[in-house]
Amino acid sequence: MAGVTLKLATGLTGMKVARHPTKTLSGIYGKILRTTAKMPDDAAYRKYTEAVVRDRAAVVERAGDDWKRVEQELNSGQIEELIIQADKELSLARKMLAWKPWEPLVTKPEADQWKWPPPK
Amino acid sequence: MASNILRKLSCSLKNVGLSGSRVYQGLSVAPSVLSRCLSSEASAGAESRPTVRQHDAVAREQISDFGRYVAECLPKYVQKVQMTGTDELEVLIAPEGVVPVLTFLKDHHNAQFASLADIGGVDVPTRMYRFEVVYNLLSLRYNTRIRVKTYTDELTPIDSVNEVYKAANWYEREIWDMFGVFFADHPDLRRILTDYGFEGHPFRKDFPLSGYVEVRYDDAKKRVVVEPLELAQEFRRFELNSPWEQFPNFRDTSVIEDATTPAAEKK
Repeated sequence: MAGVTLKLATGLTGMKVARHPTKTLSGIYGKILRTTAKMPDDAAYRKYTEAVVRDRAAVVERAGDDWKRVEQELNSGQIEELIIQADKELSLARKMLAWKPWEPLVTKPEADQWKWPPPK
Repeated sequence: MASNILRKLSCSLKNVGLSGSRVYQGLSVAPSVLSRCLSSEASAGAESRPTVRQHDAVAREQISDFGRYVAECLPKYVQKVQMTGTDELEVLIAPEGVVPVLTFLKDHHNAQFASLADIGGVDVPTRMYRFEVVYNLLSLRYNTRIRVKTYTDELTPIDSVNEVYKAANWYEREIWDMFGVFFADHPDLRRILTDYGFEGHPFRKDFPLSGYVEVRYDDAKKRVVVEPLELAQEFRRFELNSPWEQFPNFRDTSVIEDATTPAAEKK
């Protein structure tokens, strides 16, 4: 922990300072990648999510214990917020396995459904 | 060019007999005059009137790119992506996909639409699925808004998004109250705006403007009574629509633009 300062507060109501933020973060990123690995290879959701998560995981890995560097390089809020974002993505990825959104369109709209102004 | 006009304008103001400081003030309240001079001289195309909204082509392209991203990620549910005339992104989805699409928009790293601003409804009785349900989302992280639309009829329930956005609870009650759209799995679906014992859904197009009942205080009974509506005079038919079509040339024109292909490829 040499050279790494401890964060005293996040400054956001109800958000506590994370104990081992980078470790937590890389753990969640690993879980997301293991979840998306169960999706078909050509699923766009899998492709984009893996790209984002790999990107972020690489930054976290490079930074080591230095949470300040992670926050600066990712520029997407404090590291506690990054953890929340990753948690959300993980729960989304798990739900996506059930929803299978990469399949073809479930219901075609009626011909006049999205026409505006509507036909009389 | 602009400075020339400014000088001319200030000269004319001086000629009218205003002091120097007043000229400055006069300029600050005269942008409409100024812009009219400019727009008549400037080439057609670029909008320079300050009262008319400017289009930001870069922002528009970015947000329609995001619309295509959503459509690519969720081809199972997204039926169409379009841009409105005021550069807003609309994602039109199948009614089965309400929960998956909104969950995606809330939880995905590249979207983060964490707040539900509003849920609205539209009634178009000529359509087979007459009700549109409209979700307005806001992403504080990326400072962006998106609109998700789906549809239903009087009997088909739509999945409640209360599990995704807690804010949806009252909004869905409002839609239920006003339009009679049923939300499946809603924890507490009951009227929210109308009076106790109210019947009907007032925002439906077939709901009469006057309502069905009237409420008054009865002095003999010493209480408020609810009675079927009786119009004092014989009902007259106010036909407000003109028998002529006003703008036949614009019958099928719409400012809404399909965003399924990038603008650069269309040209």
